Amino acid sequence: MSEFRLPDIGEGLDQAEIIEWLVQVGDVVRRDQPLVEVLTDKSQTQLPAPSAGTITRLGADVGDMVAVGEVLIEWTTTESNPPNDPAPAPASKPEPATTPAPVRSSMVAEGPVGARPKASPAVRKRAAELGIDLAGVAGTGPGGRITAADLDGAQSRPTPTPAPAVTASAAPRAVRAPTSPLGQATPGRHPLRGIRRVVATTMQQAWTVPHIHGADEFDARPLLSARAVLRSARPDLAALTPLTFMVMAVADALAHFPAVNASIDLDEGYVDVHDHISIGIAVATERGLIVPVVQHAHRLGVAAMAAEIRRLTDAARDGSITNADLTGGTCTVTNYGSLGGHFAAPIIKPPEAAIVGFGSIKDRPVVVDGVVVAAPTLPIAVGVDHRLIDGDVMTAFQEHIISRLLSPIVLTA
Amino acid sequence: MVVGEVAERTDVAIIGAGPGGYTAALRCAALGKSVVLVEREALGGTCLNVGCIPSKVLIHAADTAHLAHRSTAWGVQLEATVDAHQIQVHSASVVQTLTNGVAGLLANAGVTVWAGEAHFARPNRLAVTMGDQVKHLEFTDVVIATGSTPIEVPGLGFDHQFVLDSTDAVRLDRVPEHLVVVGGGYIGVELGTAWAKLGAKVTIVEAAKRLLPAMDKRLAQVVQRRLSSINVEVLTATMAVSASDSTITIRSVAGRDETSIGCDAVLVAVGRRPQLDGLGIDRLGVKQSSSGHLVVDAQRRAAPHVYAIGDVVAGPALAHKATAEAIVVADTIAGQSAAFDPTAIPEVVFSDPELVSVGVTADHAAEAGYEVATFAFGFAAGSRSRTIDDTAGFVQLIADAQGTIVGAQAAGAGVSELAGELTLAIEMAATVDDLAMTIHPHPTMSEAIGEAAMGLAGRPLHVHR
Repeated sequence: MSEFRLPDIGEGLDQAEIIEWLVQVGDVVRRDQPLVEVLTDKSQTQLPAPSAGTITRLGADVGDMVAVGEVLIEWTTTESNPPNDPAPAPASKPEPATTPAPVRSSMVAEGPVGARPKASPAVRKRAAELGIDLAGVAGTGPGGRITAADLDGAQSRPTPTPAPAVTASAAPRAVRAPTSPLGQATPGRHPLRGIRRVVATTMQQAWTVPHIHGADEFDARPLLSARAVLRSARPDLAALTPLTFMVMAVADALAHFPAVNASIDLDEGYVDVHDHISIGIAVATERGLIVPVVQHAHRLGVAAMAAEIRRLTDAARDGSITNADLTGGTCTVTNYGSLGGHFAAPIIKPPEAAIVGFGSIKDRPVVVDGVVVAAPTLPIAVGVDHRLIDGDVMTAFQEHIISRLLSPIVLTA
Repeated sequence: MVVGEVAERTDVAIIGAGPGGYTAALRCAALGKSVVLVEREALGGTCLNVGCIPSKVLIHAADTAHLAHRSTAWGVQLEATVDAHQIQVHSASVVQTLTNGVAGLLANAGVTVWAGEAHFARPNRLAVTMGDQVKHLEFTDVVIATGSTPIEVPGLGFDHQFVLDSTDAVRLDRVPEHLVVVGGGYIGVELGTAWAKLGAKVTIVEAAKRLLPAMDKRLAQVVQRRLSSINVEVLTATMAVSASDSTITIRSVAGRDETSIGCDAVLVAVGRRPQLDGLGIDRLGVKQSSSGHLVVDAQRRAAPHVYAIGDVVAGPALAHKATAEAIVVADTIAGQSAAFDPTAIPEVVFSDPELVSVGVTADHAAEAGYEVATFAFGFAAGSRSRTIDDTAGFVQLIADAQGTIVGAQAAGAGVSELAGELTLAIEMAATVDDLAMTIHPHPTMSEAIGEAAMGLAGRPLHVHR
């Protein structure tokens, strides 16, 4: 009888919530078979069996919080040395008189013996492109082999469709909204679980941050025309959204105002000014609010930025997002206007010091050469941590973002 | 840092021009990226310059010399005179031809090559030392392909005169009188065998209980028998303690008594470790495993915009694995969907006879509680093996419960050339029947694959029941 304890999943997380058991007592499991779905502060993930064995007890119920090192399951393993039981660490210096064993890896490719779906490399690549998990495809070939034809009938993962083309005056839908009706709930007392609990905890923490907010509204025509030009000139930018420019403008402003790209450590009495600019993007998903991070955002050109935002929002929506993509943010952008709305008062995601929100682009009255005309405008709303940043800096920061979005060519140069 | 230094800009910077690095460079350039490839030594890396290629030249020369001992019975009397210096001249010209080819491909693809030593000055900038000059290179994506370096054994530090690493051992321009090889893995076996056939007395010292401990036991046994027949002494469960002054001191793993052996060269070949020293990777936010390898995802991404391939990441330290990873990385950088996802990576040893192992072995299957069927067809019953008078070895196939081929091992003359078919079978999820019903040409060593498959299918042909 042995125990499988919650491993250190990394990223400094010390506990996880049980979302769903994928096995029951009495089940015989293969090595690497998923045992349980857990939710950490960062992401939802499945924990695989470290070796083959038979489950004798589940250590927690769905909804329980389990700390790293606590027993997840008890089982009888059929392998003597499960691979995640670390072998005794080798002494830092080998004993002088030994000939070390050759440092050679197993010649078996990564992945468990026998657990792979059977399919040729070309079929595996095609499945990946279609977003099909081969584990769920019944192979009709000899020995259960999955053929190219088998993919046709397979249920693909919910792969996002390209953003619908929008006209210059229509609201941008860069960050697409969930498809099920919003705000539905049944009367009764519901346990606070999953992403809702994570959001609740983070926002409770955020509420202790004294915010100040600034807001403005500016002519969106330069942004929309820059986007239209790039979309028609560059086939690889056909799906370019205003959000790409918004994130680039915020990254540029953070580079000009490093004091905003910072975190406060009041307990120790320090201000940490970050040496990288990484921007979180608030994404509404079926499961709730997720904030994936464009790492080193100031390094990315327009095409790379568009591709990275797309990769991150897709991964956030289909649940494949990993902890690495959810950490390291130094500022957040929220495109709250994708659902409509003019001004807002966005809340910082601690320990970041600023959040930049954008409203909906639509025709509003604009003064041009002393005359009021109808033109698309883009509202902006900035929130900053007043412990670190005063109103003058906040306004200059906001003005810088606006100036960049009024001259987007500077961002793409 | 110099204030105001000017950096050149590139889409992709690649550090290391071995099989991984130069492949990544070619592919990135073909996909429209600007590429700077930084190499501190020679284009082609370990493999072309001091590894796979010169060792195979040496082994080919050694096999040719060894024919003199075998051909009399075939009706041909040969006398072999070994000119170790000329072997090196020939080897250098082979290496030069191949590295020139790489240089030509890179130039043709528009890849810029910087001959210098790279260091991360910032997460998105390399400082490259070229002689007494330092140039800066700013990149969007970087590929770390710096390879590996031989592991040194305490008490047997490389002096490159008496205590040799594998690079020294493929470049010797004299035949040693008595070569002691520390480490009975594939490098030690390949080079030990070659120098024995060229006239050296060779002793292989291995700490494990058998030769080639990382390979399937049955494969190792075939090589062990052949080594005995060419008078290579193999001391297993034995450790090297120290080496100096034409003497190496050894003792058994279990015991305390030390023995000294007089010899004129010691080759230490106990493995290789990732070569990342001095690169400044601590600035990149990458993680290293306890073995020193960079931790990467399926796209070989170690951190955003930072990729690593080849011997610096986990998996077998083999050129073809690095090449495959390089293609995945280049496609990923170019925005295409790609993942390093092989079912199996073939491993070939140019011992005598040659060995192939790909996919699941019987031992691995047993450890994992995974039910498999195996069938081995011996070359003693083969026709081609008879005609070349070398009947050692076998082809063994391993199938799962549904009859899908999941592993293969082979030992025998020239079986390295069978590795492609065996790997293809596993990648395609071929069944036992697929292989059994594929017509294998006669008389070739490949017939053994068809024979083993027929055996697995329960209808063996050239086998006594």
